[in-house]
Amino acid sequence: MNKLTIYIDDKQFQAEPGKSILEVCREHDIEILTMCHLKGVNDVGACRLCLVEIEGMSKLLSACTTKITANMVIHTKTERIKKYQRITTELFFAERNHVCAVCVANGTCELQDLGYKVGMDHIRYPFLFPKCEVDTSHPWYVMDQNRCIMCTRCVRVCNEVEGAHNWDVKNRGYQVRIISDFDTPWGESITCTSCGKCLQACPTGALWPKAIVQGQMKKNPEIIDELMERRKMIL
Amino acid sequence: MDNLVKRTISISPVTRIEGHAKISIQLDENGQVSDALFHVNEFRGFEKFCEGRMYTEMPIITPRICGICPVSHSIASVKACEMIQGIQPAYTGNLIRRLIHIGQNISSHALSFFHLSSPDFLLGYDCDPAKRNILGLAEQYPEIALRGIRLRKFGQEISERITGKKVHSGGIAPGGMAFPLTEEARKALIKWIPEAIETVQLGLNILKKFHDENFKFVQTFAASPTLYLGTVGPDGEAELYDGKLRFMDADGTILHDQADPKTYLDLIAERSVDWSYLKYPYYKPYGFEKGFYRVGPLARLNVASKMKTPLAQREFEDFKALGNGKPVHGTFYYHYARLIEALSSVEEAEWLLNNPEITSGNIQTHGQWNFPEGIGCSEAPRGTLFHHYITDETGKLLKVNLLIATGQNNPAMNRSITDVARQYVDGNNMKESMLNRVESAIRCYDPCLSCSTHAMGSMPMAIELKNADGMIIKVLERI
Repeated sequence: MNKLTIYIDDKQFQAEPGKSILEVCREHDIEILTMCHLKGVNDVGACRLCLVEIEGMSKLLSACTTKITANMVIHTKTERIKKYQRITTELFFAERNHVCAVCVANGTCELQDLGYKVGMDHIRYPFLFPKCEVDTSHPWYVMDQNRCIMCTRCVRVCNEVEGAHNWDVKNRGYQVRIISDFDTPWGESITCTSCGKCLQACPTGALWPKAIVQGQMKKNPEIIDELMERRKMIL
Repeated sequence: MDNLVKRTISISPVTRIEGHAKISIQLDENGQVSDALFHVNEFRGFEKFCEGRMYTEMPIITPRICGICPVSHSIASVKACEMIQGIQPAYTGNLIRRLIHIGQNISSHALSFFHLSSPDFLLGYDCDPAKRNILGLAEQYPEIALRGIRLRKFGQEISERITGKKVHSGGIAPGGMAFPLTEEARKALIKWIPEAIETVQLGLNILKKFHDENFKFVQTFAASPTLYLGTVGPDGEAELYDGKLRFMDADGTILHDQADPKTYLDLIAERSVDWSYLKYPYYKPYGFEKGFYRVGPLARLNVASKMKTPLAQREFEDFKALGNGKPVHGTFYYHYARLIEALSSVEEAEWLLNNPEITSGNIQTHGQWNFPEGIGCSEAPRGTLFHHYITDETGKLLKVNLLIATGQNNPAMNRSITDVARQYVDGNNMKESMLNRVESAIRCYDPCLSCSTHAMGSMPMAIELKNADGMIIKVLERI
């Protein structure tokens, strides 16, 4: 298949049709910030961190869900993009109750890393301080809505990789929440297989094993893509 | 002013302590002290906002109560968690926890003595308040200030070498430790011991010289008798990490010995007062009026029969001689007791670092929720600390009770400032040094009212004279 010529940050690249802008950037070590993207499951463009500027288009588009086209001219590091990345990051922190100091994921959290990457030294938006549920009903795991950023990586990995579809989403706007089964306690779920893939997929400390304390969290989200690759080999 | 019925002197903020507080001194119509109140005007709310969290998060959440004694909170918390899980910590994990706890005690005691209190002894109560702090000390006695800072550094380095962080370190986990002590770290830490012992002994010499030169002041400074609570080992030895409770009355009679910390609610009750956010705990069998007791270094040494280590034991015998077989009530002797504990801690750190098991890999046992209730106790630098958790059957916290050392000293601190105010404050003739002596009574307890606020004498202090209607008649300001 003929490769397409595209331009990213004033450099020319050849890439296969059908690939997303994010895939091409990652192949060429061009950094694009992401939170909802997880290799191995479908992209949904939920987090809006991977926005890029494409010449000829007034709107910013998400790199994870936008396929490349011939002669596309893409900019990934403009001041406009940096401004939106900073806003998005601050809104993540302002929307729920993120307290890194006492979080089990402190030091292994993608949201915390993001804050450092965008140089977030303060948050300009009022904190919502929502009252969020901590679901401890599962015998091994905890779901803490306070730390959830609604990336839906857990929902997709549960549905697309495990095939259980325990996790889903309810409500809209700032009231949106991840739910187990039909909004029942996780420990009462009849679909959850307790496989733990959602814990590996979660970028923050929203999903974590009861048996560990801060300093013992080891996240391996890459395992999801590895599993999918191995399945392709079997099939 | 002569026709005033009542006046109030307010010391706000109280300086060179951990946190924010103020003191009100009530004068009668003759300008003499009628009463004094210690107000803690901060509210933290940990007991409430921890409800609904998973109990295993508490060893990480509760250390944030304080930047000086976070390890004691972690230790009390993991012990409560271990009771909930019904497990014992791994042998080496327990040794490492004990070592980190000792490190914190050294660091905290060094801070209290060298940074916060020694300026009073070395520079004098009448010294310019702007210079009566660690910086003023560094100007006049650079060697002493540096040694004090390094002693504190040693204590913090123990934590850093094990967990990677000096303060608020992670890894103190139910069942033991998440991180081991490496041989390299052990070797680096043990090099500190001779210097640390020398520094504590230097502090003891400074303090003893002050005792000799100010014998009457030291003997009579806020010396009202109280009950005492501390933790002791099986043979009555002073203990900071594990052990059982011992309550002693003002005459030295042991009221309770080898009491399991899990029974603390049979021994201690609390009451709120309307002038402070700090509660008033008291010894339950004696009731609120007669049951106030003290915790912390003075209390621990008063209740103990002996020290575990040789150099500290020698000092302990001198300390005991001060009371002539009875408890030592003089609040000023808190400093002496604190340094004896620091000496004991450095010696015990050496023992632990020479224990061949300390670097083994047996650091954590694992458990899960088994029981709905957990109570943990440890001796924080400022006194006995209790954590009490009630959970549902999934491990979610339903109720949290944290009984913190400074809170337990609260009634006694009030008594002490009243004693000192009556002794030194004359409302008709107010001097800054006079009010500093009142503050100094609080500083003896080294109270930790919040997490690591270091004022070091640089904060302004306003002394207000008010009439009975609350109108300010006269203001003295410390800049």
